[in-house]
Amino acid sequence: MIDRRKFLGTVALGTASAAFLAACGQSSTAGQAGSAENPVTITYTWWGNDDRAERTRKAIALFESKNPDIKVNGNFSDFAGYWQKRATEAAGGGLPDVMQWDLSYLRDYGQRNQLLDLGTVKVNTDSFDKSLLPSGQIKGKTYGIPTSTNAFAVYYDPAKLQSLGIAEPDGTWTYKEFNAFLTEVGAKGNGTLFGGTDYTGIWWNFNIWLRQNNIQAFTEDGKLGFSKDDLKKWWNLTADLRGTGAIVGEDKTTQLLPKSPFGSNVTATEVTWDNFMAGYLADSGAKELKLVPVPSDDPDNLGLFLKPSMLMVASAKTKYKDAAARFIDFMVNDPEVGQIFKTSRGVPASKTQRDGTTFEGTDKLVVDYEKSIEKYLKDAPEPPIVGFGTLESTFKRVTQDLNYGKLTVDGAVDAWFKEAEDLIKQNA
Amino acid sequence: MTTMATPTQPAPTKTAPAPVYNPKSESGTAKRIKSTIFHIVALALVAMVLYPALWMIASSFKPNSEIGGANTSLWSNNFSFDNFATAMEGIGGVSTLTFFTNSLILAVGAVVGTVLSASISAYAFARINFPGRGLFFGMMIATLLLPFHVVIIPQYIVFQQLGLVDTYIPLLIGKFLAADAFFVFLMVQFMRGLPAELDEAARIDGAGHVRIFGSIMLPLMKPALISTSIFSFIWSWNDFLGPLLYLNTPEKYPLPLALRLFVDQTQSSDYGAMIAMSVLALLPVLVFFLVFQRYIVEGVSTQGLKG
Repeated sequence: MIDRRKFLGTVALGTASAAFLAACGQSSTAGQAGSAENPVTITYTWWGNDDRAERTRKAIALFESKNPDIKVNGNFSDFAGYWQKRATEAAGGGLPDVMQWDLSYLRDYGQRNQLLDLGTVKVNTDSFDKSLLPSGQIKGKTYGIPTSTNAFAVYYDPAKLQSLGIAEPDGTWTYKEFNAFLTEVGAKGNGTLFGGTDYTGIWWNFNIWLRQNNIQAFTEDGKLGFSKDDLKKWWNLTADLRGTGAIVGEDKTTQLLPKSPFGSNVTATEVTWDNFMAGYLADSGAKELKLVPVPSDDPDNLGLFLKPSMLMVASAKTKYKDAAARFIDFMVNDPEVGQIFKTSRGVPASKTQRDGTTFEGTDKLVVDYEKSIEKYLKDAPEPPIVGFGTLESTFKRVTQDLNYGKLTVDGAVDAWFKEAEDLIKQNA
Repeated sequence: MTTMATPTQPAPTKTAPAPVYNPKSESGTAKRIKSTIFHIVALALVAMVLYPALWMIASSFKPNSEIGGANTSLWSNNFSFDNFATAMEGIGGVSTLTFFTNSLILAVGAVVGTVLSASISAYAFARINFPGRGLFFGMMIATLLLPFHVVIIPQYIVFQQLGLVDTYIPLLIGKFLAADAFFVFLMVQFMRGLPAELDEAARIDGAGHVRIFGSIMLPLMKPALISTSIFSFIWSWNDFLGPLLYLNTPEKYPLPLALRLFVDQTQSSDYGAMIAMSVLALLPVLVFFLVFQRYIVEGVSTQGLKG
């Protein structure tokens, strides 16, 4: 595993040496083109499991049959290893031509000029939701095109609720009602089934709550947009629930790792991204899981948005800009690619691709959920600030200490703000 | 009150006849009790140490939803070979056998390279008095102190510029150039323990360095060579970061890279298949260890003796 600090160090070192090497070597300018007899070869890399590897292989084969002048060499690794490898390659100036990308790394690499401005090449984004595209843009440059989207949701297991004699939620609830629901599950679950995990420990949930209250998480210049009081209010939401059956204890959660409490059938609900559906089904062995919107005290403003579950980017140093752009365009827009991936990358972001794909079973549940919240969707937030990963994990760690009783809410707020402000100063 | 009085009486009656009639039986039962207790304690410890392995083997036969999480039992009613079938299917069109072959090529390459290069370098350090020997020896030891992560990027840049990325050369060249200072050091220490009279005698008979190294040193160093082989085999077999950075074609991936692909936090994780593949991946190491284990003990014990 590589942590944030190490990663940043590696990238910083890498960029420095890459700049040095670039100065020594010749700079490539216009993209080279291939022909059917003499195809150019581009490299494409992604993270994911064996299932994604299989699907991607099919997509690449399809692309090659439609574009005989381009060959695609694919390679893959797991998520953690993926970023270690990218950091090293960025240092050596050898990033692959086209890459699957994660939102939290977009700013780091984009600002360091490792990624190609896709605005300068031909990738069709006409059928994309306009609220989605800014998430791949930094200061007017498009570094990433979203392949697919996620939305935040509350998962629940209908079978478990039924066995406890609790009615299924319809998803229109205030935080108070949501807490009451969790408490009821905890009380009837009698120590074997808990309501859920502490939902205040998840950054994105807090972000959504801020949006419900019309507060921006980060300002334009990369500073915190909310106050200590806001965070206090947030962490106090579940103050009465901690240590009761409504929220599963942190010690128990740790014992269950690497599975989540929800995936281990220890809780009845979980609040997270809707693309975890397949994972939860596989981990828990549950027959069916359902999705409803997150709670909000303002029924007209759920604070929800679509987040790119992943993006397609190209290396700034690619010799085959045109081929890379064609491949990206194909991967995000082609309906047949949608048929291959279904929702395994998230719900297809491009309307052409989404409409050309038939969804069944679990896939349909996720797609239907995103359709059902369409009217509540607002602009996706900009790419997270540099060092966001650390902020996110600190947020989680501090909430864990809250649940262990090591910190009071006030202490937790002070602890998080101190780390956040230090980090923002460092990266400024 | 009666209990207070009794203890003085039975003690002599019990011990008195034993030494007279059958001295062995008394000490024999005591020994037996001691040995039973010892074995029970030892077995309990073994059970504790082996539990993770047992857990792994049991889990490799369980369906994914029954592995980890709230499931603590080793037993399952749904034991099957499904996980092994999935594991053998391969990943993204590359068969699992390919991953095994690649791991084997890398591991055998590492063993051959390390044994050859480390023993020759060690001979130079231990037996040849060349100028700057102390300095070079110190520098070699210094590389032991250098964390691997410090050299990743410079090394990568070098191999990238040489166009050697996506070949096995970056992973193996260091082994053939005695870059593993640990093994060189191990062998130097071992050779220093061998009596210098042996090579002096050979020298008087007219042997040069090549002859001394090949006919005198190598045969005597067998225990050290075998420890080195075992360690470098296992290290190479388990290496993740090196192959991750230098290999780009899935057809060239060794096992540790493939193993990770069954667990993906952003999608679903197939723990069952991962564990099944881990069990399979352990087998060659286990066999290697079983075949050579007596030499490990021998190597360690002879290295302890100073000549």
